Amino acid sequence: MAKKSLFIAFLLGVITLGATAYAQQDTADHSDHEMDHSEHSGHDHSEHDHSEHTMDHDEHDHSGHAHSSDDHKGMDHEHDHSMHMHGEHEMLHGDDHSDHAGHDDHHHHHDGHIMDHEGTHIMGQNFDKLPSSCSSISEEIEITVRAGAKYAKKFPGTTFAFDQQQWRVKPCSKITWHFVNEDNVRHQFMMHGLPRYLYHLGMFHLENTGPRTVTGTMIVPAADETYLVHCDISQHMEKGMKAQLVVGNGGEDIPSIPGLTPYVINDVYEAEDLPKVSDKDDAGGKKKDSFTKQITDFFNDNVPFTGLALIGLLFGLVCAPLFAKIITFRKKDTPETA
Amino acid sequence: MRIRFFLAILALCGSVTAINAQASLKLPETVKVSPAALNTEPICDPKISASWRKAQEIEGVKIRESNLCSPDNPYLIAAAVKGTNNISMATLMETNLSPDAIIKTDDIDGDGDPDRITIKLEVVELNGKTPDFEGVLPTFDIAPGVQPGAWVFAPKTSGMSTENFESIKANSLLRLPSPVIRVEVGDIVQIVLENTHYLPHTIHLHGVDHPFTHSDGHVAGGDGVPQTNEMFLMPGESRVYEFQPRQSGTMLYHCHVQTHTHLAMGLVGMIIVEENRPNNWLQTLNVGGGHVRYPSVAIQEDFDEEFDLHYHAMDKELHEIIQKYNDPRLIARDMNRLYDITDAKEDYFTLNGLSFPYTLRESLVIAEPDQKIKLRVANTASEMVALHTHGHKATITHYDGIEHNPIAQITRDVYALAAAQRLDLTLNTTNDGLHSYGEGIWLFHDHREKGITTNGMNPGGNVSAIVYKKYLNEIGLPMGLGVDISKYFTHEFHARKLPIWQDLDEAGSLGAPGVRTGFDPEIQNTLFNLLGGFIVGILIYLIIAKRQTALATITGVTSKLRSSKGDKANG
Repeated sequence: MAKKSLFIAFLLGVITLGATAYAQQDTADHSDHEMDHSEHSGHDHSEHDHSEHTMDHDEHDHSGHAHSSDDHKGMDHEHDHSMHMHGEHEMLHGDDHSDHAGHDDHHHHHDGHIMDHEGTHIMGQNFDKLPSSCSSISEEIEITVRAGAKYAKKFPGTTFAFDQQQWRVKPCSKITWHFVNEDNVRHQFMMHGLPRYLYHLGMFHLENTGPRTVTGTMIVPAADETYLVHCDISQHMEKGMKAQLVVGNGGEDIPSIPGLTPYVINDVYEAEDLPKVSDKDDAGGKKKDSFTKQITDFFNDNVPFTGLALIGLLFGLVCAPLFAKIITFRKKDTPETA
Repeated sequence: MRIRFFLAILALCGSVTAINAQASLKLPETVKVSPAALNTEPICDPKISASWRKAQEIEGVKIRESNLCSPDNPYLIAAAVKGTNNISMATLMETNLSPDAIIKTDDIDGDGDPDRITIKLEVVELNGKTPDFEGVLPTFDIAPGVQPGAWVFAPKTSGMSTENFESIKANSLLRLPSPVIRVEVGDIVQIVLENTHYLPHTIHLHGVDHPFTHSDGHVAGGDGVPQTNEMFLMPGESRVYEFQPRQSGTMLYHCHVQTHTHLAMGLVGMIIVEENRPNNWLQTLNVGGGHVRYPSVAIQEDFDEEFDLHYHAMDKELHEIIQKYNDPRLIARDMNRLYDITDAKEDYFTLNGLSFPYTLRESLVIAEPDQKIKLRVANTASEMVALHTHGHKATITHYDGIEHNPIAQITRDVYALAAAQRLDLTLNTTNDGLHSYGEGIWLFHDHREKGITTNGMNPGGNVSAIVYKKYLNEIGLPMGLGVDISKYFTHEFHARKLPIWQDLDEAGSLGAPGVRTGFDPEIQNTLFNLLGGFIVGILIYLIIAKRQTALATITGVTSKLRSSKGDKANG
């Protein structure tokens, strides 16, 4: 009997845990972030890259006439305007990764750290140094990562996000990341935990000071590992801009990735008695008939003990013997099989 | 047998009473907190290079000496004077600024200085919540271990928000207060607000000549008021505030979204419009306020030194909201609907974003005899500040950026600043018994006494000092004749765990008392009563349980008495 009740308690516990986990993930569109880039990278990026090229060209066209107030008048978007303020500066061609040597005059090199006069960073770039665990590069892939406030809309309670929360690659892949910032503020693509003999501080980092694209290449080690990817601007990671790169079968999941992994520390949500359309009817003098009121109260979560809770209680009472039966059935079962 | 038992109990009671009587004669010893048990910080931040104090020239910018313990980064000053577009990458890399943070171009009036100034500001949260661990980040202490959640306008930075990969401490550009901005009359200024925060914000230029709206619509920024003038600037968006000021003066800029909370959270800074002069390159940003190491031409004409002093105050409960929740909707709920500023009271009082003892590191007014020093003072607390200078009477020359009639200017030692008010003071260090009483270490502080506390702990709050060079030691600290100040640089002091009077004398006569050995008088009384009751109880029990024996004894005695009586009678 004691064993039975223990088992029921255990079952209930599992159900509750499952429900909690589900509650944290129910906003996620799983099909979206489970995409395997090692397979889809080909056609996925040809489209995106194209649009990015056009975008960058636009910027260049405008950069010539900065600081002339006549030009400002023609512009509709304040964002555009702010970008055009410093036309004299060299712009980094985000997709121009093949030609870094040519930019030496404008780039600052420091521990493999490249920054141009636009503030675009590439840190920890690695085209050819193989991790000691790899004998050769398994595959060369390109992944486009988009960052912006709009990608957070599908995750309630977040503000900023990447377009995807997880990327899967084969061990020893050579990855070229195209980091597209779609906001008019700074964003970063910062990866941690890489081998320090190849990457300064174990980091690979791309940064855009505004709506631009930056491209960087790196090679992942052979071990099954999951790497943190985030934006380190204050509160950007906390408010959603967090993802993980899964190499091979991956390691331990990174916590608090929107729609993917649960938070370590959770907020407490309390129901608020906010006005609803039905309440508004009341205020207008249109009184609810008692039947409607009973029905709405029955489903109203704000009442301490609701009708739904009663149903839950009944369900529990009905199910308890059922659970008990299952257990007794199992008990009968075991001697037979033994 | 029974009687022996009874006697033993009585003896025990007696001895216990005696011991306790003796213990209550002696009061507990003083418990001294050992310095080794304290979390003590170095008085000066060891990460700041001593070479930063020297007068030096960087990128052709002649930067003044600043003998403070934490002087401003001279490379940052050079970048603020020349603009991030006119300096070498090497200098820029010493600042953490984004290469597009301060852009200076176009000498429109041909007087030798740039007249188009672009300043990019981000909105940064300090001491905020994380869903990953208990604790806050990036951290910014206003006093040792005191970390109220805050928001600031910060110059556009580059790279990590923390000092480095291993640290959760905010990098040096991300700090309270929002930076002091300096522009020149006639400059075409664009402040670009890039909202890197998770809530909407705007900028309102308080007191600065700016148009309500740009009729041609080429930029969207205006007065910064969502209810009358422009939309909320949402996360991830940027907006340009363009203005060409015609009047000089000490002004403010602040967020005008939910101003009753956003301003107190730290989204407020000083903006100073300097008079137009030829070849007037300005230090566009004075991060952290305080000493101006590259004053404008007009200030150099009339003054020896210039200091920006920004007073602010915070209500602990408001600043805890962003540390309670991660979900921006819950933060918005508490900030907008649950927090009631009419029930609020201020707990932290800061000068240039810091409270004592950190004010000693960077907000001292360093003086020499016979100087004229310009103090630009702003109060952004929600209550008035009664600023008092020890040893000096300064003259109020400007109210809210407007010069007061020179004949009517007032010289005094308590300067009242209403909320959002600015005063320009001239501190004259001539030892004449009026303007100055001579050299020394002279405090200046809010004379509402709560202003000199940090959440009620004194000394704290906005206390700082006018220190004459003679009294400054080699690391930029005042050579006080009073107590050792190192104990204020501990977390324990601010956590109310350090009885600072324990070292006033050898005996520690005003230290923290220990606890009594033995019982204290109250417990002793209780125990005594308990024991008494217990004995009475035993007696009653004995009487009832052994009543037959007792009765027998009594009858025996009475019969004996009777018989003796009878004997007598018979006899």
